[in-house]
Amino acid sequence: MRDCPEWLREIDHTADAGIEVSGRTQEELFERAAYGMFWLITSVESVEPVTVRHVELKANDLEALLVKWLSELNYLHQVEHLVFSRFEIDELGGGRLEGRAYGDNPGSDEQTVFGEIKAVTYHGLRIVKHDGQWSATIIFDL
Amino acid sequence: METLKVEQVAPYLWEVPRTGGMRVPARIYATRRMMQDIVRDKAVEQAANVAHMPGIVKASLAMPDIHWGYGFPIGGVAAFDEEEGVISPGGVGYDINCGVRLMASKLTRTDVLPHLKDLVDRLFEFVPTGVGAPGALRLSTPELKKVAQKGAEWAVARGYGSQADPEYIEEHGQISGADPAAVTAKAWQRGRPQLGTLGSGNHFLEVGYVAEVYDNEAARVLGLDLDQVTVIIHTGSRGFGHQTCEDNLARMDTAMRTYKLTLPDRQLACAPIQSPEGQAYLGAMRCAINFAFANRQVIAHQTRRAFEAATGRSETDVGLRTVYEVAHNIAKFERHEVDGKQMRLCVHRKGATRAFGPDNPEIPVAYRKIGQPVLVPGDMGRYSYVLVGTDQAMTETFGSTCHGAGRQMSRRQAKKVAAGRDISAELREEGIIVRGASRRTIVEEIPEAYKDVAEVVETCHLAGISRKVAQLRPMGCIKG
Repeated sequence: MRDCPEWLREIDHTADAGIEVSGRTQEELFERAAYGMFWLITSVESVEPVTVRHVELKANDLEALLVKWLSELNYLHQVEHLVFSRFEIDELGGGRLEGRAYGDNPGSDEQTVFGEIKAVTYHGLRIVKHDGQWSATIIFDL
Repeated sequence: METLKVEQVAPYLWEVPRTGGMRVPARIYATRRMMQDIVRDKAVEQAANVAHMPGIVKASLAMPDIHWGYGFPIGGVAAFDEEEGVISPGGVGYDINCGVRLMASKLTRTDVLPHLKDLVDRLFEFVPTGVGAPGALRLSTPELKKVAQKGAEWAVARGYGSQADPEYIEEHGQISGADPAAVTAKAWQRGRPQLGTLGSGNHFLEVGYVAEVYDNEAARVLGLDLDQVTVIIHTGSRGFGHQTCEDNLARMDTAMRTYKLTLPDRQLACAPIQSPEGQAYLGAMRCAINFAFANRQVIAHQTRRAFEAATGRSETDVGLRTVYEVAHNIAKFERHEVDGKQMRLCVHRKGATRAFGPDNPEIPVAYRKIGQPVLVPGDMGRYSYVLVGTDQAMTETFGSTCHGAGRQMSRRQAKKVAAGRDISAELREEGIIVRGASRRTIVEEIPEAYKDVAEVVETCHLAGISRKVAQLRPMGCIKG
């Protein structure tokens, strides 16, 4: 099995896939959730951060911002065939998010991308703070 | 959530009685043995959650292939009053109009066996598969809008397939009320390179043969004979549908506040059918429904070409005709009798198949006496089934039945079980040639990862919500 950072855990969902992720701040949680999603999609540890995409979005609350942030990155992956490995959240709060994702286009090597994520779901999604750590469980539709 | 009470109410039917905010009971079709597995994950709770939704009629239903989804359970069926009810993108799913086409050829197993390897290679060459695989078609947005309105007809008009195909597709391969203005720029963008592609995950194209016939008369009407070579195409609306669901789910999430709706799971986000949000989703979803019909039509055409190239026979000699095509993930308006009253309902099927009984005008004339054909694919190693709908399905399940085997292992578990094994070689030993876009897909889709579809189908047959006609066994398969 592949190595996985201690703040990320792949969870067993019968039909789909999910991750449990944690961070010291909300910003770090969002950055790590994005890393976790690309960990499911590709060998994220070997992706060079040579291209950058800016993301700006609005949503009703923190959970919706997280779903939109990940959905936007998945959209960029789907249409531009980019995979991302480094993430920076510049602003988060008041229903707004501004961030950057760094990555690369892996080309046509079919082994590089493991599988397709159709969407990021709201199912059971809750962002909680416990013992100074923010955490979230996210289920993806495969 | 507290542990839900589940009671047996008929030999193959279980009920979660109304409790708390549930407006109707939840009912699950299953054997006692299957029920022991079903209660282990969150699928029963999900069926009960659906029962909370405004305007739901009779019961929140689940077919025997019920399993843990997100929001609605997979295998869920829920019908809502047209005036009072809601519509929910989560009740259809991201892969809008994911469905199955069954085709039958004039060839027998013996005719195809010598060409099997070449046939699988040709299929793999002619039908783009895998993650984000671009299709053979490059369409402009105005052309894509035509696809979204005309469905399979669009493909036939451009030479993909035969004039006879649409007659044998649910909705004739073209649902009305599609509104391209309700589709976002992102959905067009994501869908543009994907028409005519199979996709990844559990999508596949399988060459098989009729291995058993249970109902001679129905098989005769459907033109199915022992040893006859068949094709199953399983795919949907690709990124176009995924994005359409995602965009509308976000709108519905906001609409829940506007209409002051609260539900146990945010993924159930919905809006009144008659609201602007509800109507916009309907218009966009129908575009995705048509995209999926066109997608399978293009793939069916490519399949015919692959058969001709591999066997060296003409189109007429191969004779690959569409037996029927059904949708698995869809919401549609249908008339059903509820408590002795005829009602127009918005029926959501999320991993469930329409199974209308005999004499329904929606069924092709040639099949009307036997009921609507239903195709239930299994895993890539065992078998699939052809069933027909029944009158009992009309009275009990809004004319619905199961859609497949349902997974019993997560992809992660499947990879562990398959570690160190050569799955393609194991299947080859059984006479099945498999080609996948990656080794990973084949490993994740190993036969043991799925429940035995025979048990699911038998339960539907015994419960009376559909009737077994024939069993198909695989010979070759391409996976995304």
